[in-house]
Amino acid sequence: MSEALLSAAGVSAGYGAAPVLFGIDLEVGQGEIVALVGSNGAGKTTLLRAISRLIAAEGSIRFAGHDLLALRPEQVFALGLVQVPEGRQLFPRMSVEENLRMGGFRRSDAEIARSFARVYAIFPILAERRDQWAGNLSGGEQQMCALGRALMAEPKLLMVDEMSLGLAPVIVDQLLTVLADIRKAGVTVLLVEQDVFAAFSVADRSYVLETGHIVRHGRVAELERDPALRKAYLGVA
Amino acid sequence: MLRAAILALCVLALAGVPLLGDEVLIQYGIDALLFATLAQAWNILGGFTGYVSFGNSSFYGLGVYGTAIAMAQLHWPFGVGLAVGAALAVGCAVLFGIPILRLRGHYFAIATLGLSATLAAIIANIDIAGKNIGLILPLTRADAAFYEEALLLLIAATATVAWIAKSRFGAALLAIREDEDAALVMGINTTRYKIAALTLSAFFTAIAGGIHAYWITFVDPGGAFDLTLNVRMVIMAMFGGPGTVFGPLLGAFILSAVYDVLASSISTAAALLFGLVIVLAVIFMPRGLWDLAGGFRRSGARYLLQNIRAHRL
Amino acid sequence: MSDIPLLEARALTKRFRGLHAIERVSFVLRRGEMLGLIGPNGAGKTTLVNVISGTLPADSGKLFFEGAPIDHLPPYERAHLGIGRTFQVMKPFPRLTVLENVAVGALFGYHGGEHDLKVAREQARALLDFTGLMHRADQQADQLGGPDRKRLELAKALALKPKLLLLDEVMAGLNPAEIDDVVGVVKKIRDAGTSILVIEHVMRAIRSLSDRIIVLHHGEMLAEGEPNAILGDERVIEAYLGKRRA
Repeated sequence: MSEALLSAAGVSAGYGAAPVLFGIDLEVGQGEIVALVGSNGAGKTTLLRAISRLIAAEGSIRFAGHDLLALRPEQVFALGLVQVPEGRQLFPRMSVEENLRMGGFRRSDAEIARSFARVYAIFPILAERRDQWAGNLSGGEQQMCALGRALMAEPKLLMVDEMSLGLAPVIVDQLLTVLADIRKAGVTVLLVEQDVFAAFSVADRSYVLETGHIVRHGRVAELERDPALRKAYLGVA
Repeated sequence: MLRAAILALCVLALAGVPLLGDEVLIQYGIDALLFATLAQAWNILGGFTGYVSFGNSSFYGLGVYGTAIAMAQLHWPFGVGLAVGAALAVGCAVLFGIPILRLRGHYFAIATLGLSATLAAIIANIDIAGKNIGLILPLTRADAAFYEEALLLLIAATATVAWIAKSRFGAALLAIREDEDAALVMGINTTRYKIAALTLSAFFTAIAGGIHAYWITFVDPGGAFDLTLNVRMVIMAMFGGPGTVFGPLLGAFILSAVYDVLASSISTAAALLFGLVIVLAVIFMPRGLWDLAGGFRRSGARYLLQNIRAHRL
Repeated sequence: MSDIPLLEARALTKRFRGLHAIERVSFVLRRGEMLGLIGPNGAGKTTLVNVISGTLPADSGKLFFEGAPIDHLPPYERAHLGIGRTFQVMKPFPRLTVLENVAVGALFGYHGGEHDLKVAREQARALLDFTGLMHRADQQADQLGGPDRKRLELAKALALKPKLLLLDEVMAGLNPAEIDDVVGVVKKIRDAGTSILVIEHVMRAIRSLSDRIIVLHHGEMLAEGEPNAILGDERVIEAYLGKRRA
């Protein structure tokens, strides 16, 4: 059995004196879409930040055969592990095109040109709005810009944090379709989501995080039928 | 009860300084007390309301010139002079406050900067104000009187700030400081409260200016509307603890002492070293001395470490 | 029982540099009603809330509260009349404690608020109890985590003793079970006598919380009516809901 693209084992992390994650085990295989769901404050964003090496962590984190724990965030990025942060975090007074270009920061002009073509093909509305300030876009367009910016780095694994926040349902559906499409193009996705319905509609497997522990994981089809989960997260009996 | 007793003792001790008869000490005392008042007055608008003013030297200057003109040109008594100075400052606060307080943050600070320079230029062209030559006030009495007056003024200013800290008025100021938009939708007429804060600030600043004018008996536009005065007010209040009752006092007394000691022993490098003190203060105790004392009590030396880490040093 | 609606908007229009943020929006909100407001981002929902709360002036149109025009009233006077709102990007007073945050609302809210600090604190304490924030009463507001911040935002608005509460996307970021919790709280608020305008993207919440729904699209009213009718409306599905959730 080949090594998973991303594997975390026994990962613990926190902020200063407050521990948030306790011994997390998680795997994402090449070509999968894996969802990470859980309540607010469970530690989902903390886990992504630990993997991106934005915060200190203990345990083992391996990506594409490399040990991440000793690396700095820019090195993790260079390996092809790219995060789309919660709240998009675009540069509001730079244009769409400039924001996208920042995603391809470390690559050659020819590579960037190819990436632009790809991103504008996936998100035609960004092509239309390429000269507008990112801060003036609607929420959905901003989320597309954030995803586009991440794709400009030609990632192997995309970690998307709370993509559906504040977006109209029809837009969320469009973005989910985009995730399915880029998976077909070879990008693996780790999707952190509050909207469990949205996440389950597109993911293969899911992990459930509760106050810093992984309490359930498995194929989405099975999880959807689990009564305890249905009650706690889907709010249905 | 204990706090009240300690406070009373401090006031008595301060009041008793002139009895020691040390001229130099009394003079240092007057300076320190007046500066403490200036810092405290600035604190009302800067510390509690969150509007960093570089225009307080305007009110100071108006207090200086109001008193000087009243006493030197019109031969009115000291008390009336102070009232004139205060009236000028309060009038200026209301007149300019209304437009300037619409600005926020940096823009407000810059707009107030312009005020002092403008007033200095105006005064320098008015005959009754002695134009650029300045004015000489009538001969003064013993320093001790000035000392006690400065002390009384400081007590009044501090008592006002203490009332603000515990009153509904103060709650409005704090809300404005923390989030003005939220304060508006929560029912606070922010313009009214800001102007009130500015006016209180102007009042105490002007009286301090008046006392200083009569004490040194000579005034001129440059000295009265000196912007470095405003800078020192800001530093003292921020060093001691903005938004607290005793922080600015602490800041003023300590920094006056530090500056005096440095000036007398290493005079040339005094300014440089003074700057170093300020930089260190901003790194280790960004919320002022008062917060440092509280922080130490809560988490010991970790308070300093947290501040260092926050600046990624 | 008076027939005058609590809130009436007539042809409200607001433009930003040529962009029509809201265009001739008219609707009525009745006493005791929960009105849902949905629509894509950029449709003008938050602009409409800002116009109602007084944070932004309308370019044209009229706004009536309890039958009286309020177009020229600044935000703080609308708070005195009983209009309260939450902010989408939450705005706590960061360095004040949770209790102090809520007390400000009690001190300056309905009819000018309380003048006695003690009374205000008592009212604040009661609201912290109601919203489940008692255990955080003395913590600095900027130290609260996401869900608690939402509770605080709600408690602050309630401190104004509002007759009309404008809830701007309070459900953002909550999972379905948490949404059901907050829906329960909002219903309790309505039962206590407050009318509510709910702006939301979370369909689960809108379904449970709306007596009627209005839909904004590109700044204009697209549709208005009973939830079932709206959520099954073809135009609304196309512009906003998507097929999956119809």
